[in-house]
Amino acid sequence: MSVVKAKRQNPHFRLDLYEPEADLMVLNFGPQHPSTHGVFRMQLHLDGEKIVKAVPDLGYLHRGVEKLCERLTYVQITPIVDKNDYVSPMHNEQAINMAFEKLLGIEVPRRARYLRTIFAELQRMASHLLWLGTFALDLGGAIGGGASVFLHCFRERELILDLFEEVTGARFHYNTHTIGGNRHDITPGWAQSVKSALAVIESRIPEYESITLSNGIFFERTKGIGVLDGELALELGITGPILRASGVDHDLRRDAPYHAYDEIEVKVASAEGGDCWARSVVRLAELRESLRIVRALVDAVPEGPICGYKPIKLVGQVKIPSGQVYSAMESSRGELGTYVIAGGGEGNVSPYRLKIRPPSFHALSALPYLLPGHMVADAVVILGSLDPIMGEVDR
Amino acid sequence: MGHFIDSIRAMGTTLRNFLRPPVTVEYPTVIRPRPERHRVSFALLIDETGDEACIGCLACERICPSQVIAIKQAPKRESKVTGKKRGYADDFTLDLEACIFCELCVQVCPTDAIVMCREPEVPGFCREDLVLTMDKLYANQKDKALSWGTAGKLLEMQDPARGKAEAKPAEGGEDKSAEAGAEKPKAKAGKAKAAKSAPEPAKSAPEPAKSAPEPAVSAPGQSAALPPATDAKPPAPVEVAAKEVAPASGLPQTAETTTKEIP
Ligand code: SF4
Ligand code: SF4
Repeated sequence: MSVVKAKRQNPHFRLDLYEPEADLMVLNFGPQHPSTHGVFRMQLHLDGEKIVKAVPDLGYLHRGVEKLCERLTYVQITPIVDKNDYVSPMHNEQAINMAFEKLLGIEVPRRARYLRTIFAELQRMASHLLWLGTFALDLGGAIGGGASVFLHCFRERELILDLFEEVTGARFHYNTHTIGGNRHDITPGWAQSVKSALAVIESRIPEYESITLSNGIFFERTKGIGVLDGELALELGITGPILRASGVDHDLRRDAPYHAYDEIEVKVASAEGGDCWARSVVRLAELRESLRIVRALVDAVPEGPICGYKPIKLVGQVKIPSGQVYSAMESSRGELGTYVIAGGGEGNVSPYRLKIRPPSFHALSALPYLLPGHMVADAVVILGSLDPIMGEVDR
Repeated sequence: MGHFIDSIRAMGTTLRNFLRPPVTVEYPTVIRPRPERHRVSFALLIDETGDEACIGCLACERICPSQVIAIKQAPKRESKVTGKKRGYADDFTLDLEACIFCELCVQVCPTDAIVMCREPEVPGFCREDLVLTMDKLYANQKDKALSWGTAGKLLEMQDPARGKAEAKPAEGGEDKSAEAGAEKPKAKAGKAKAAKSAPEPAKSAPEPAKSAPEPAVSAPGQSAALPPATDAKPPAPVEVAAKEVAPASGLPQTAETTTKEIP
């Protein structure tokens, strides 16, 4: 612990950090490297094969979404923030609309809350499946062919995207949430399709585990690699599966329930160890838990309206004169927060300032502590186990 | 040795998946069934009277988050088909390059004029190929399967109470001619798509809206129809009719625009 504290004296963005020390080789890792999960650059200072210092470099995917949101009106923002975390767009939509609803004091109808919960959990499954696939790619071909796991996971993820497509018409950027509820109701046969898709995915999870968790090579590549202790994780603001893998039992779904999570018990998966292995265990456990939640809720969706506010009809119909709010939800990667100051734009139709707190950004800030002491090949594994999505890191 | 056994076991999983039937759909030759709400391209609708349903109200242009819709608004004029006075779009382009398929433009259209299609556009060779011009948009109605969503159905789904209570004040106030188009695309889209979740309220929704403008609009409709079938060049009667109706319908400026335009 003391070692970590000593290292923490260095602020991250000092230019001299980029200066290589004597006899060290500097390796630019990314931004085009396929293992960096997007456009992300790390400057690795190597002593032989060993990493001595790592400097993460962000910003390659900055689109100015927050600034753009100040110009768009409230009703136009939802489809734009879809693109932040492009692996779980549902969570982005929900987070932003939850903030607006809190600001307006709108009650979301019960049916919409159920649908949102189901969508969120399905999206979490899709996201974790994608993580598992890409993580197996990062580990390489040793585990029965890394690319096979990747394709198996994508195959099952397709099932979930098909479900979303049936409801919303889009496979990815759904724009299915609106202020006060949902835009699309589920179709009559949807619950049945969900259950058959879940049955397929459930039958495949043991296969993933046989190829990853019960595989000795996987174990050796991940156990004890990139150990993040819970105290440091909390200090860095890390949330989600990474924090839970470090032994801190924290999950907004249970601790600060939103949607319909107060009506269903969420068994929070957590693990000790804080290494890549623990993070894998937690994510696979969450996959099962999400499956259980969806299965429990999909039959219990109550009747009623799906939108508790005026449906979108005009570009400037939502006016919020003043107020500020922070609202947070548990996305696939952790606490996805939205901070809105209302009262911008002509006639108060836009936010004055909108800040998104992405969980991946905080996860990446752990890299300078995790990487030193490991091999270059482990850098890929550690980065993969953090599951960063650069779209939401840079926004 | 342990790793060797693990590898064999992992290979076993791979082999089991190898023996499963393939899930890949070989796209250009095989097209997977697209759900009813699938949205990949756009169409503008011709309503059942044979006129353009779009009244050029610019609602879709204003709401588009990517600002890819460009509309040239035409002055209000008599419809060639029904003789009713209404707005038109002179030109309508939609640039698919930056469209994010958010479906907001569909949802805000007061006349259900713009809908999305379930069949994608053919890839083009240059950027201009991705710009949907007005001709392409109108051709898409016939060429492509339309998706389920229209403004009426989407709003109906989000607010079932809306149909009766709100339709009159909300739509009747802004534009009389809007209602003329309000109920026709529904017939088309409904026929094409077999609305699944809520067909009957969707039909009942525009009813009050339609009945509201009836007295006002039917007057010019009849008088224009009376000088029989010469609607290509009936300047005098139409002008008179327009002037007569103008005070009744409370839209004086429509009379002006018509008189300006028709000579
Ligand atoms: S779908 Fe969205 S982005 Fe595309 S034209 Fe319509 S409003 Fe604009
Ligand atoms: S909203 Fe509908 S009627 Fe208005 S301009 Fe667009 S397509 Fe035309």
